[in-house]
Amino acid sequence: MNSIEEVTSKPAVESVKTDDGPSDEELLLAVGVSQDRRAFNLLFARFSKRIFAMGMKLTRNEQLAQDLVQEALMTVWTKAPLYDLDRGTAQSWIFTLTRNRCFDMLRKKKRQPQTISADDIWPQESDAEMSVVHEEQGSQAVEVAQIERLYEHLPDAQQAVIEQIYIFDRTHEEAAAELAIPLGTLKSRLRLAVAKLRTMIGVEQ
Amino acid sequence: MTTANFHPSDDILRDFAQGNVTTGMSVALSAHIELCSSCRTRSSELESESIMEWLKLEGDSEPDFSGMIDTITALPQLTTEPQINSAPVNSDDLAVSEIHMLDRSFTLPRVLARAASNGLKWNKLAGGINQAQVQIDNETQCEFLYMTPGSQVPVHRHQGNEVTLVLDGAFEDQFGHYGPSDFLVRNKRDQHQPSTEEGCLCFAVLDSPLTFTSGLARLFNPINNYRFRRATSQRF
Repeated sequence: MNSIEEVTSKPAVESVKTDDGPSDEELLLAVGVSQDRRAFNLLFARFSKRIFAMGMKLTRNEQLAQDLVQEALMTVWTKAPLYDLDRGTAQSWIFTLTRNRCFDMLRKKKRQPQTISADDIWPQESDAEMSVVHEEQGSQAVEVAQIERLYEHLPDAQQAVIEQIYIFDRTHEEAAAELAIPLGTLKSRLRLAVAKLRTMIGVEQ
Repeated sequence: MTTANFHPSDDILRDFAQGNVTTGMSVALSAHIELCSSCRTRSSELESESIMEWLKLEGDSEPDFSGMIDTITALPQLTTEPQINSAPVNSDDLAVSEIHMLDRSFTLPRVLARAASNGLKWNKLAGGINQAQVQIDNETQCEFLYMTPGSQVPVHRHQGNEVTLVLDGAFEDQFGHYGPSDFLVRNKRDQHQPSTEEGCLCFAVLDSPLTFTSGLARLFNPINNYRFRRATSQRF
């Protein structure tokens, strides 16, 4: 489904799990899906110093670096619902967003013409693909991305069933044998999982 | 698509990934990256490296920012991508997405189409060179250059760095022969005399004015210096 080029053009940063707490991706998804303030506080604590350091390096100006912290984390909050795992790790998402905000902030400060913005210089990899997909398949693409994201929130037993059927493309019988469960159990887990996904993306039965 | 033979160095690509080069230079790099798949891959690798470096940063005496949290979380969230200055580039909403020269036409990379969106005004310079400046920032001089077939630029030297991205056609100087997508950097030590047989369309970024070193072309220096100072005088 993905060409080599699409795969290689994605940031190859491995998600780094900090401390023992939730990963940055989990936090960012929680902020996006349910406006989770506690998750945002954690992200804030993990990233504000890094953002300030990037601001100091690029602007050499403490006030601008502070403004950047505010602007970048404001963007993290407001754009979190647009984040999904297809966009790479939370860290690369926050990095590029911070770099772009800083770039535009400096351009404004230097009173440069506004013809070009950071988003023109670093177009989001997905923009071109997305716009084509959107024209062809409308909101389906959005739902697919949502399902991929929400699937991970299913109970383990249901995930295992979905994985057998939809990812490994096995028949119900093969999947039941592989998971060592009765066929009836498999079918009811599958039904539950699909129903749950439907509810999560807000599609009526 | 033709493959480029001359590419930006890792150092430049890394600075670019970190947002640490002028806007003019960033535009040239972005355009090259759109045209060159190997630099696309390389710059994304270097961006990943930069991210890993960034994650290691530990601020030491930074101010406490936690006061911002309440203000931020009081804001409404977005459900669709904002379309402020980043509307998708459609060929029909840009003044210039193609450049026509004699019997050839060339489709510009997206970022250059955006840079040229206010229209291009071509000026004829000596030696069969046509130049259309675009104002991108206050720190560089950015221009499209079209060298007509058989033309030759007078010998010149650069006071700073000059980046040239070949868009269409080809040109050569004593250092080599350059074709589509090639990205070359000349610094102040390089004195060269580009010429072209088939004609050549380029995008060039100078971070200080050219100095011509031979003949009548030297008369151009004070004029060019003046123009560069004027174009770049709005620094903050």
